[in-house]
Amino acid sequence: MKTVDIVERIEGEAKLICQWDKEKISDVKIQFLNFRGFEFILKDKPILDALVYTPRICGICGQAHLKATVEAIEDIYKNHNEELTLTNKAKLLREIGLNIEIIDSHIKWFYMFIMPDIVKFSNNSLEEYSALKGKKWLEASSIASETIKSLAVIAGQWPHTSYMVPGGVVSDPTLLDLVTMQNYMDQAIRFYENSLIGTNLDTYLSFNKSEDLYKVKGDLKDFITISFENGFEKIGKSYNRHLVLGDSLSFEKGKISRKLTKNIDYENIEEFTTNSFDIDKSKVSKEAYTWSKTALYANSFYETGPLSRAVVQNRSFVSDIHKHYNDSMFTRVLARMDELGFLLSKTKELIQQININEESFIKPKVSLKDFHYGIGQSSVEACRGSLYHDVEIENGIISKYDVITPTVWNLGPGIDNKLSTSQKAIVGIDSLEKAKLILRSFDVCSVCTTH
Amino acid sequence: MIDSQEMVKKVFTQNSARIDTNKGDAYYNSLFEKAKSRLSALRKQPALKDIDLMEVVESEGVNRRDFMKWASATTATLMLPPMFTPLVAEATELMNRVPVVWIELQDCAGNSEAILRSATPTVDDLLFDVLSLEYHHTLQAASGHQAEHQLEDAIHTFKGKYLLFVEGAIPKAMNGQYGTIGPGGETFEENLNRLSKDAAAVVAVGTCATFGGIPAAAPNPTGAVGVMDIVKGKPIVNIPACPANPANMVGVVLHYVLTGQVPELDSLLRPKFAFGYRIHDNCERRAHFDAGEYVEEWGDEGAKNNWCLYKMGCKGPMTFNNCSIIRYNEGANWPIGVGRGCIGCSEPDFWDKYAYERPMADANIKAPTGGVEKTVDEFGLGLLTATSIGIGVHAVASAVAGKRTVHSEDEE
Repeated sequence: MKTVDIVERIEGEAKLICQWDKEKISDVKIQFLNFRGFEFILKDKPILDALVYTPRICGICGQAHLKATVEAIEDIYKNHNEELTLTNKAKLLREIGLNIEIIDSHIKWFYMFIMPDIVKFSNNSLEEYSALKGKKWLEASSIASETIKSLAVIAGQWPHTSYMVPGGVVSDPTLLDLVTMQNYMDQAIRFYENSLIGTNLDTYLSFNKSEDLYKVKGDLKDFITISFENGFEKIGKSYNRHLVLGDSLSFEKGKISRKLTKNIDYENIEEFTTNSFDIDKSKVSKEAYTWSKTALYANSFYETGPLSRAVVQNRSFVSDIHKHYNDSMFTRVLARMDELGFLLSKTKELIQQININEESFIKPKVSLKDFHYGIGQSSVEACRGSLYHDVEIENGIISKYDVITPTVWNLGPGIDNKLSTSQKAIVGIDSLEKAKLILRSFDVCSVCTTH
Repeated sequence: MIDSQEMVKKVFTQNSARIDTNKGDAYYNSLFEKAKSRLSALRKQPALKDIDLMEVVESEGVNRRDFMKWASATTATLMLPPMFTPLVAEATELMNRVPVVWIELQDCAGNSEAILRSATPTVDDLLFDVLSLEYHHTLQAASGHQAEHQLEDAIHTFKGKYLLFVEGAIPKAMNGQYGTIGPGGETFEENLNRLSKDAAAVVAVGTCATFGGIPAAAPNPTGAVGVMDIVKGKPIVNIPACPANPANMVGVVLHYVLTGQVPELDSLLRPKFAFGYRIHDNCERRAHFDAGEYVEEWGDEGAKNNWCLYKMGCKGPMTFNNCSIIRYNEGANWPIGVGRGCIGCSEPDFWDKYAYERPMADANIKAPTGGVEKTVDEFGLGLLTATSIGIGVHAVASAVAGKRTVHSEDEE
């Protein structure tokens, strides 16, 4: 038997094709069928133009793309032994911007994308979570609007801003701006405490064992209860291999396959189109079924995202939960909400570290047009996981721009009889509803995936 | 914090406003009567959602007076005289009589994200509480086949009455196979044609839906076009910008509720209330432009003092939009507020013509004819090919006078 279903209420749309055998999913294809062609559009454009193009790859993680672009450009300088100096202030303003975007996305994801489906599994009627009119939905929408204003203070607007430039940032916040940002953060922290976890943020951050799950209150408790009632800690398990490419003040890079290593080499990243459509029709294989490519690290599929970040960084609460339940759907959702708390606290701390007397920007001594040829790579941690940009320029003009988004790592097609991370997590499941929930647990972004 | 509503009001009521907002008493009196009978007819219709606006407003801690203040600023935004304020307030309450269907095509979800963060100024959550959003791909409760049915229901039930909001471009190349939707693999073009057929009007939101946007940037690999290139024989409203400003989306709905028709449009089908003047006309850094004070490079003294960004490639002088007044994220800020200049994102083909890196002098466009005093109507489509260099001359003159004005002041 075969079923075809569409998954909405992700960012964009995905099509889920399941093959059934004895009432269990024996094979699954995840299709992303909307393509814009960013890599083709970027080609032959001046490299600095990429600063306005790439944020438009995604309406949700535009800051991540902006940061990846600016750092790939700075890597070009570095590869020419012309490394740019960045002030601490510029570094902080970039990372704070990115963190706020992740915070905003996590709030929305929980209330708008995952909970409306989770509550369908509850024995109680939880009307407050219903989309567009439930009290909690509206409250989350409102707090997300407020939170993102703190990014607008330094970035000018959200979504789609380009306040980062090679050498720093264009914005120069005043003390009043910083206080305004802190206030928005405090508001988000109060929401996290009062609504999501029902306890004090510091108390929550001191949780370090899986037993502490019982101390969680608020809306997250609803999730935990429904999960254990339905065995969500047993489903959605994949390879339990984790990858974090980005390195920052908030996250550490590294990977876990059997054991943890902090060594990451971009040379190990590979992208394949065996099962993907190609814009060049002569290259489309018969097996092609999606616009998403396949991404492998050291020839293996890895999961990327908040769970991976927590275990690579060894944040104790999630790490201990992970020891008990591995990479289950439950662990994955919980890790994202745990990261929300972690980032709220971290970002507030980063805002406090800004010294407004420092420069925001230091002008590069040479122009990119002076490099006959240049290559640069970068990776940042976006809401959904590791984002990778790889660029090649000739006389300041882009000759190649390759983007691998987090959703490609998690939800791209499998290859050579190897199932991709999400396919492996779904195969063996006995209900379509659960399969869709597992898909959602990766925080799918179809617009990013196909770019 | 600047009260953006107050600013809106000021801009539209001052004598020097760039576009002629006064259509004469006879016009307004007849529109007033028309709106009044429209609203009373709407009131007799059953509400699609059983929500009392004033309860919502009060539950959000906004009092009646603040609400009326908002209504009066919105009236000004819509370029209507103050006597319309009570009608606008009433129309807001009746927004739940107009069904809205929102679809996403070849997009980045940015406009949905923007409207999620709108809620209209000061009246928080108004949009979601009152607006009857019958279908929205990302935001609604339903998913999968259930969502499909909901969409079918909505277009059937509200045949000829719903506003179709479209986010994203439409790929035409390869028979539309670059974008398909639903289990049946309907192409975006087929989907748009089917859903617009029975719509009262189509509102293209964001630069992708209006002019093809970033997917249509050279070499336009997917053959992307905007809604107006596909849909014919329907009122179409274009709300360009990347992302479109939620205040303008709400403005269009309000205007429709109030009058039963789309607002007055310019030659590019943009509502004049929002696109009737340039960013430059109301820019907070305009005084520095007039004084010849420019930022010459990121982080210089000019940048620190919030001088004009024209020489950093700011496209404000040739971009029609109201973001210098409305701003983004509920008035929190806008690009020029942090010193990065306008990229011209509400203009057609701006990806190729208004590129970021190229300063004005090297761009293959020239500044608008007649310097800063022309209106959108006088420009129209001629904007992109206009050859006069009024503004360019001004900028060059300042450069000749002394690279940075601060130096010439020192000399004085």
